Amino acid sequence: MTTPDSPLDTLGDLMRAAQQGDGAAYAQLLRMIAPRIRQVVRRQRGFAGAAEVEDLVQDVLLSVHAVRSTYDPSRPFEPWLTAILRNRLVDGARRYWRIARREVKVDDLDVTFPDLEAKEESADLSDAAALREAVRALPEQQRQAIELLKLKELSLKEAAQVSGTSIGALKVATHRAMATLRMTLAKRRE
Amino acid sequence: MNTDDLVRDLAHDLEPAAPLRRPAVRAGAWFAGATVYVAALAIGMGFVSGYPDGVGVTFWAVQVAAIVTSLLASAAAFASVIPGLSSRSHWLAFAAAALWLVMLAATSTAGADWSAVSSATHEWWCVGFIVAGGAPLLVVLARMLRRGAPLNPATTAAFAALSVAALANVGACISLPHANNAITFAWHGGVIAAATMGAAACGRLLFFWRLAPKRTER
Repeated sequence: MTTPDSPLDTLGDLMRAAQQGDGAAYAQLLRMIAPRIRQVVRRQRGFAGAAEVEDLVQDVLLSVHAVRSTYDPSRPFEPWLTAILRNRLVDGARRYWRIARREVKVDDLDVTFPDLEAKEESADLSDAAALREAVRALPEQQRQAIELLKLKELSLKEAAQVSGTSIGALKVATHRAMATLRMTLAKRRE
Repeated sequence: MNTDDLVRDLAHDLEPAAPLRRPAVRAGAWFAGATVYVAALAIGMGFVSGYPDGVGVTFWAVQVAAIVTSLLASAAAFASVIPGLSSRSHWLAFAAAALWLVMLAATSTAGADWSAVSSATHEWWCVGFIVAGGAPLLVVLARMLRRGAPLNPATTAAFAALSVAALANVGACISLPHANNAITFAWHGGVIAAATMGAAACGRLLFFWRLAPKRTER
C-alpha cells in the first residue's frame, strides 16, 4: 500500500508529466528507476557480466519509452513498470538461450601456433606475394578474420565488433584460415 | 552508449504521449465500428432473404453468445497490451467463448448427420464471409493493439482473431440464415478455431517491441 508521499506516487507524477512532454521530469524518472531495474536484473541474472546487465537495463528503459502512453495516470506506477521489466527479462533470457544454442563454443585456440613445426613454417612465409595470393584465395569469412586479427592486429573484441561476428566464430575462422594457409604454402614448397 | 547518455537522449525533445483510453473504452469503440461494418456487409450480401425452418430462439441465442464473446475477446485483447493489468478480462472472454461453444454444440449436434458435414460445400460461402469479411476488421484491430505493449503477442493475437471471427460469424449466419446443425458447428467452429490458433501462432510477427535505436546505432 502506498501513501500519497511515497516515492511510488512520485514516479507516477513524473510519468504523468512525461506524458505531457516534460523532458526534465522524464529524465528524472528514468534516473530514478534505472538503479531499481539494475538491481532486479542483477538479482535475476546473477551470471551476467556488467555489460550484459547494462544492456538489459537499457533495453527496459527503451521499452518503457516505447510504451509510455500505456501508463494510466490513475493507476499506480510500480505494477506497470514491473510488468514491463518482467517481460523484457523473459525476452532477454529467451534471446540469450537462442544465441547460446546457435553459437559454437570452442576452447581458446592458439591463433599463433606454439609448436616448433608451426613456427618454422611461419618463418618460411617469407614469400609475400605467395602469402598475399593464399590469403586472397581464402573464403570470405576466413580472409576477413586474418585481415583483422593478423594484418590490422585488432584485438578479438575489436575484430568482432568490426566484422559483426562473435569472438568464438572469429577464433574458429582464424584457426581454419591458418590451417588452410599452412596447407597452401606447404603445397607450393613441394 | 552508457545508461546516462541513453536517459539524456530519450528525454531530449520528448514528444508528448497521451495516455491510451482504458481497454474497455477502446474495445467498445472498436466493437461499435465493427458491428456497423458487419451489419452493412450482411445487408449488402442479402440479409433480408428470409429465414428457413429451424431458425428460432436457439439460433438467436447462439448469435447473442457470439456477439458477447466478440465484445469480451476484444476487451481482453486491449487489456493484454496494457502492462500491470489483472487477467480478469482474459477469464471473462474464456468463459464467454466456452458458453458460446457449449450452446452451439448443444443446439447443433443432437442427432447430427456427420456424414453430411464434409459434403456441405455451400458452407464455403460462410467460410469466405468470415475470412474475407473479417480480414479488414483484424487489420484495424491489430493496428489499434500495436499502440500498446506487446507483452504476450500470442494471447493478444488469439483474442483479436477470436473477437473478429465471432463477429464475422454472426454476419455470415444472419446473412445466409441456416438452422444450427452439425454442419454449422463443424464449419463455422472449425474456421473460428483455425483463425484463433493461426493468429496465436503468428502473434510474434504482428506484435513486437519497436524500440528507439540507441544513438550509437543510428
